[in-house]
Amino acid sequence: MTMTMTETEVSKGFIDVRDMGVTFGANDNKVVAVDNVSLNVQPGEFVSLIGPSGCGKSTLLSIVAGFVKPTHGVATLDGKAITKPGSERGVVFQQYSLFPWLSVRKNVEFGLKMAGVDQSKRNTTARALLDLAGLLSFENHYPDQLSGGMKQRIGIVRALATSPQVLLMDEPFGALDTQTRVVMQEILTNIWQQFRISVLFITHDIEESIFLSDRIYVMTARPGRIKAVIQVPLPRPRRAEMTDTPEFMNLVQELKGLIREESLAAMAPEIKDRGLSGFGMKVGPKGVGEIF
Amino acid sequence: MGNTATAKIVALPMVGKQTDPEPAFVEAKASAAQVSADHAPVAVEMPLPEPEPIPTVSLSKVFVSLWGYVTRERLTAAALACISIGALFLFWYLGTKYKFEFYIRFKNVPTPYEVYQQLTQVGLSNKYLVNIAISVRRILLGFMIATAIGVPLGLAIGKYQRVRDFFMPVVEIMRPIPAIAWVPMSIMLWPNNEASIVFITFIGAFFPILLNTIHGVHSLDGVLVRAARCLGASEIRLFLNVILPGSLPHIFTGLAVGMGVAWVSLIAAEMISGQFGVGYFTWEAYSLVDYPAIVLGMITIGVLGLACSGIIRMVGVLLMPWLAFAPGGRR
Repeated sequence: MTMTMTETEVSKGFIDVRDMGVTFGANDNKVVAVDNVSLNVQPGEFVSLIGPSGCGKSTLLSIVAGFVKPTHGVATLDGKAITKPGSERGVVFQQYSLFPWLSVRKNVEFGLKMAGVDQSKRNTTARALLDLAGLLSFENHYPDQLSGGMKQRIGIVRALATSPQVLLMDEPFGALDTQTRVVMQEILTNIWQQFRISVLFITHDIEESIFLSDRIYVMTARPGRIKAVIQVPLPRPRRAEMTDTPEFMNLVQELKGLIREESLAAMAPEIKDRGLSGFGMKVGPKGVGEIF
Repeated sequence: MGNTATAKIVALPMVGKQTDPEPAFVEAKASAAQVSADHAPVAVEMPLPEPEPIPTVSLSKVFVSLWGYVTRERLTAAALACISIGALFLFWYLGTKYKFEFYIRFKNVPTPYEVYQQLTQVGLSNKYLVNIAISVRRILLGFMIATAIGVPLGLAIGKYQRVRDFFMPVVEIMRPIPAIAWVPMSIMLWPNNEASIVFITFIGAFFPILLNTIHGVHSLDGVLVRAARCLGASEIRLFLNVILPGSLPHIFTGLAVGMGVAWVSLIAAEMISGQFGVGYFTWEAYSLVDYPAIVLGMITIGVLGLACSGIIRMVGVLLMPWLAFAPGGRR
């Protein structure tokens, strides 16, 4: 594949987030979304960020993407502070973000066009990437003619077209049905295997994070902090069958325990209000303690 | 008009058939993972076939896809359209034939035949054609100026908070003033009659175009703007390649509405202050008690208005082929 990264480029793409804090609103209705988070993604590493909904994981990704400015702390890419969006950081969104007025191929070409690459070179690159995503025969279709899974595959290769140093993915498979999602994970791990660039992947799906990642950051319920970092020692390239190994199962159990505490903590006020604590839900003291 | 539509439909069902299966096939296969393999085995066997030279020019493709919409449903629609127009003429014919008088009075209304005669006599006369030409010129000028100012201003107001804060108070004050109320002021403002009528037409078209463009920018999905920024789009590129095409459907709604209001304003202005023009022609006919000419003037206005909005709709379909597949779009 012409798009494969060369060895020298693999050493680039180091994301470093230091003492990050994000606060929304002011005075009385101040909400601390992210509190004192530090994390990093090594060059060529696939890192997942997992946590209960509302824990600020998407906010963190928005900062690294350059959409949101942190209240305090810094995010850097290869030592340079991130202040605004840029094509060296490809982003894949949860919502379908293809331009509906452009054909599939023109969508993939978009970033190259913005960079001033000439038409024939854009065309070749886009077709190679579409081939990689298994969608070359749809190059002249419009996005609205495609299924959700196809759109998201195009979203991924579109983000890769400008040869970014890192790929930021914000629950990219969140809107897909379970069967499609599993297939998409395999496709993504295959594509990543060819590019080997740094990935920061946001998800709330435990199996997904294990299957894809080298390392997983677990976040607490709001305000979001890093609760644990878990190494995934599964060999590469990842195969669908690995999800049945005891190694994989153990990791799932470990993560489930961590996440469950946080999910309950996130819901604790509601549970208390409605008097549902008698329904066999154990609200761990530590989880509730996080909130009060 | 109904007749030409039917003729097209009858002539081209074969072409329609060929393009039809494609979208259905896509949907059926959509969720399968290795779709490409099923869909086009030829394309997969040779991993990267030579780039096709055609894709940039898609005009012929657009026409083919237009014929693709010729269906039984469309035939029924065309038939119903003919019946409704026919019924209107029948009502008119019967009303004038029997001098129908029951609160509304058909006593002085000319028959369809009289109007037809008027058309054959007057219709080819220079005076009538010049009136039409002058009205069309006024519409085109007023409408084009309104588009040239309304669309860029609307994009800027929609995009930038500061521009919005500056312009919107003025827009909100001016907007409720109907174009007809501008007639006296317009006569004072502009050096000649022609300019003041074009100005009134402009006022009529301007606000629908402006407001729909603003709405188009606001309804653009924010994730598309963020996606474009991540892909390295500069501010100008963002405007030209994302915000403009993204608001194009709403802009065209504004153009269609604006064209309608422009005609209303033009006719009113011509009737009040005018020399020449279809509105003037109609009003003059009333002053001269030339009843068939009144109806001829009215029908002329209707046909011209229909033609203008038809042209806008067609340009819209040609410029926005993707809308055919948008959820809740055509069909």
